[in-house]
Amino acid sequence: MISCTEFIPAYSELFKTLEKLGGVKAVEDFWDYLSAGYLSNLRDLVAQHGIRGCWLYWSHTLNEEAADFTMTLDEEKGEFTIDMHACPSKARLLAASHFEPYHDYCRHCDRLYRNILEPMGYDYEVDLSRCEEAACRLTIRRPAAAKAE
Amino acid sequence: MGRRERGMAIGSRVYHTIREALLVPKEIMVRHAADNPYLHRDFHAAMNGGIHYLRETFGLPAVRDYLRQFAHEYYSPLRARLLAGDLGALAQHTREIYAAEEAEAEVMLSENELTIRVPACPAVTHIRKLGQEPDEAFVETTRTVNEAICEGTPFVAELLAYDPETGASQQRFSRRAGR
Repeated sequence: MISCTEFIPAYSELFKTLEKLGGVKAVEDFWDYLSAGYLSNLRDLVAQHGIRGCWLYWSHTLNEEAADFTMTLDEEKGEFTIDMHACPSKARLLAASHFEPYHDYCRHCDRLYRNILEPMGYDYEVDLSRCEEAACRLTIRRPAAAKAE
Repeated sequence: MGRRERGMAIGSRVYHTIREALLVPKEIMVRHAADNPYLHRDFHAAMNGGIHYLRETFGLPAVRDYLRQFAHEYYSPLRARLLAGDLGALAQHTREIYAAEEAEAEVMLSENELTIRVPACPAVTHIRKLGQEPDEAFVETTRTVNEAICEGTPFVAELLAYDPETGASQQRFSRRAGR
């Protein structure tokens, strides 16, 4: 068995395998497949609770992943942010000296969640410029708030 | 590292100023890595999704090649110990991952043989709990991974029994003849 605590290196290796088999498109096709089939809980929460659905979704996942983050929900402004100070997934990959991570690992997060939220009208921004420090910033704005800016 | 939010907590909410506490419906959650154990069981479902996609798109040999490559690379420190004849390293690894999963596994080690009995695979249990079906190739995350860990070492891996309903299994690692 591959433990769920070993999943991130296995996931990274899967991206490498897919790229070898079918180029970057094969990797992106897989990310799109995951969005469509495995993130219905995010879609349902946002459909039911609006921007608060993001808070509810990531409250569960980020705590289980033992992430180091600050998450903010401003319902009045219609804005949700995650300041990821230390992403547990990327940190594990960076720490593994015997293992070569997939070169574009962090982009899967962007693609997975953008696929869900943009079609629902939400403005989705992610700053991946500090990926090599296992840090990033995600901002999601609800449609009216996005238009007002 | 990023800044740390400071403020006053009322219930589950944290506020920066009294005005904010009274007027602004803003919620802030601050967590540090040490606040939670690292155990995101939904990763088992993501693994299952990856196996399913790979098999459907590229076939079963692609699944086996992927898992073999992963095992060779990720478990290379463990493989190095097996290569040196240390079967105890594999017993220790098994105990550690099942303890991390808070799952039961019977690990029996002798000089030339390691037997593992798993009454219910925690991965299969969680996948089913989420209402999903483990892919028909999910067994390869045990069989192919075990075989690949042992490749080139004095040991051989065998999956003696596997129940796809529960993932219950019996696995044996034994010294190859003449090694």
